[in-house]
Amino acid sequence: MVAESSTPGGKTRPESALEPRRGVLAKLVAMAAWAAAYLVPAAAAVAAFLNPLRVKSRAGEPLRLGSIDALPSDGTPRKFPVVMDRTDAWNRFPNQPVGAVFLRRTGDAEVEAIQVVCPHAGCFVNYDPQKNVFFCPCHIASFDLSGKRLDETSPSPRDLDTLDAEVRDGGEVWVTFQNFRTGIPQKVPEA
Amino acid sequence: MNAIFRWLADRTGMEAAVDRCENHKIPGGAGWGNVWPAAIVFTFAVQAVTGLVIWMYYSPGAQSAWESVYYLQYEVTGGCLLRGIHHYAAQVLVGLSLIYVVAMVFRGTYRAPRELVFWTAVLVGLMALAMCLTGDLLAWTQNGYWATQVRVKFLTLLPVVGGDLFKLAAGGPAFGHLTLTRFFALHAGLFAAILAGLVLLHLGVLRRAEAVEAPSAEKVGWYWPNQAVMNAVACLVVMAVIGLLVSKNAFRGGNDGRPPAAYLGVELGAPANPADAYAAARPEWSLLGVYELSNMFPGDAIPGLGVSWKVVPIFIIPGIVLLVVLAMPFTGRVRGGYIFNVAVTVVLLLAVLALSIRVIRHDLANEAHQAALAAGHEQAVRAVELARSPEGIPVGGALALLRSDPKTQGPELFKLHCASCHDHTGGKGIDVLAEESSAPDLGGFASYKWIEGFLDRKQIDGPKYFGNTALKDGTMVGFVKGNLKELVDDIGQEEFQKLIAVLAGEAALDSPRSEDEIDEDTKFLFEDFTCADCHKFYDVGSLGAAPDLTAYGSREWLAGIICDPTDVQFYGDGNDRMPSYAKDPDDPAANLLTVREIEMLADWLRGTWYEPGQAAK
Repeated sequence: MVAESSTPGGKTRPESALEPRRGVLAKLVAMAAWAAAYLVPAAAAVAAFLNPLRVKSRAGEPLRLGSIDALPSDGTPRKFPVVMDRTDAWNRFPNQPVGAVFLRRTGDAEVEAIQVVCPHAGCFVNYDPQKNVFFCPCHIASFDLSGKRLDETSPSPRDLDTLDAEVRDGGEVWVTFQNFRTGIPQKVPEA
Repeated sequence: MNAIFRWLADRTGMEAAVDRCENHKIPGGAGWGNVWPAAIVFTFAVQAVTGLVIWMYYSPGAQSAWESVYYLQYEVTGGCLLRGIHHYAAQVLVGLSLIYVVAMVFRGTYRAPRELVFWTAVLVGLMALAMCLTGDLLAWTQNGYWATQVRVKFLTLLPVVGGDLFKLAAGGPAFGHLTLTRFFALHAGLFAAILAGLVLLHLGVLRRAEAVEAPSAEKVGWYWPNQAVMNAVACLVVMAVIGLLVSKNAFRGGNDGRPPAAYLGVELGAPANPADAYAAARPEWSLLGVYELSNMFPGDAIPGLGVSWKVVPIFIIPGIVLLVVLAMPFTGRVRGGYIFNVAVTVVLLLAVLALSIRVIRHDLANEAHQAALAAGHEQAVRAVELARSPEGIPVGGALALLRSDPKTQGPELFKLHCASCHDHTGGKGIDVLAEESSAPDLGGFASYKWIEGFLDRKQIDGPKYFGNTALKDGTMVGFVKGNLKELVDDIGQEEFQKLIAVLAGEAALDSPRSEDEIDEDTKFLFEDFTCADCHKFYDVGSLGAAPDLTAYGSREWLAGIICDPTDVQFYGDGNDRMPSYAKDPDDPAANLLTVREIEMLADWLRGTWYEPGQAAK
């Protein structure tokens, strides 16, 4: 009970002037009505907050990157920029560079595609023509031309990521471009 | 668990706080008249919650503000609901504050010890209004932009500091990026914090006043749960009102297939266009009275002061009203003060109501205003259609989309550059009538119907075709009125219709076909009907005597004749009065129209523009 004498110059009123306190039902109704009032705005806010989970990346469609004739027949890799229409929330940017892949000829009409993004921390690997390896400058990691880790203890948790590539219509190289999560041993596409 | 609770309770004193709350007593007993502060706190909380998530989507910038709000409204789950609640709850907050303050005046509850309770309530109302005023601009719509422009320009009426105040409010000499960043900082930062502080302060002084009054009150009631249950029900009612406002357009029907974001919540107006003043710009309902009051004062200077009369309705009268209201706790002490305060409040309310009704009735009866509203709505719908198109919003923003849209720009360009001579009726685009029709009607130009009428001896020298031009007595009119009938009789009506269909088919093209697509039969048609005597059509006939009919009425052909009808491909020396709009493509400054404008005109005349459901070009 609150001390009524705490009010300046206050006199306590007789109990009769005090309305009776209402019971459990009123308490429940109060809490329920209050919660119900917040329900709709809170639901709209939570739905909008969670909206990014619903938005999917547009990657996963095969793209034409170039001609097989542009690849050296000895299997030396060449880096190709990947150009796509990029969507950033409300803006559309036509023909934007979104990444790059190394293409390497492995046969007359066969091509291998490797992501340039290092699976360790997301740096771009380079091709080192002297040693004939892929080399990541950020944490000193080397990979052979098929993407296998070469160091005894590689900073990278997995080999370089290969991409689906095929040669169509007498020489067009089509690659399904995709980014993968970095830093984990499994190759998991970014959603 | 208990130990953790004890640990926390010992350090926070929360038990005492809960106890204070549970055993708080309301002088006069619990009652529905006491629910207003709770309703105001609730509405403010709704604003804080919805505002925070809107903040996660909002991007203040002249090319991103409308666009980000569009994204929220149309692409984000629950976005239109969120924005609708935020918009209408803002209006409800102003309304609740007004009702609360008026109720206090009527009940005389501004008297000691409640002066601060009254003043903080008045200030909460003012800050709610300030939130509306700053929030109105943020979506960067035509209405928000132009209404805010007017309001901020009122600052320049003030002597000496006026110009500087404008710059401070706008973030520079004109509206733009910095106006948005500034208004946003005020809206979501400073004003939001002040409003939150005022609401808390109000609750604090209210509690204190109730605690002081309770011991001497005849009757006291429990806050918990007697008053609390009423408060909670009041919050639910407030939310229901907001919900009704948000969904009011859904109940009106006629949503024919439009996405819910187009009618749920509040409409996203057309993107702000600094080059196109929006004539129907109006403030929110709460400021219509001041708006109408300001219209009753002339704009010229008060004699001898050099300050505009507008200062009186914008600054002096509202300022005096505010002072009178804030002084009520003092005037209320004087004999007759209570009656005076009530009378002042009633008169003020009636005056604001009368002024607001006046402007609403005036606007409803004003055709120009209604037309501007309708045009604004159409622009808004079109902007959203284009933003939702597969090509999406370019970096230049939604305004750039609208500015290169043939559907809406075409008629404007036509009115400005073509309608001094040409009508445009019955085409795919809207009808435009010439100031004084003296050239062919271009509605449905080069369509089957148009060509059929042109080749009709009764129509070719009529007002829809060459009737009002120098070509009235030319070779073509002579041919249609003379030989053509005989030729049609000889060769056959069916072949004649085929000829028209071939020409109309050309108009559907963007640019000429390759030569090998034209078969010999088609070429014979042009020779048989003697068209090829004057006109070129692919490799039939030659240039020089009459316009080239290769790809006649196509995008390229139309753009070409608008650029330069005196070119040998078109009328050459025989051109009547048609101006060359872009004679020299290498010297854009010398041309009347840009290449893009001519393309838009051509696209509009041919009725080719993006409509929802189409794939990207």
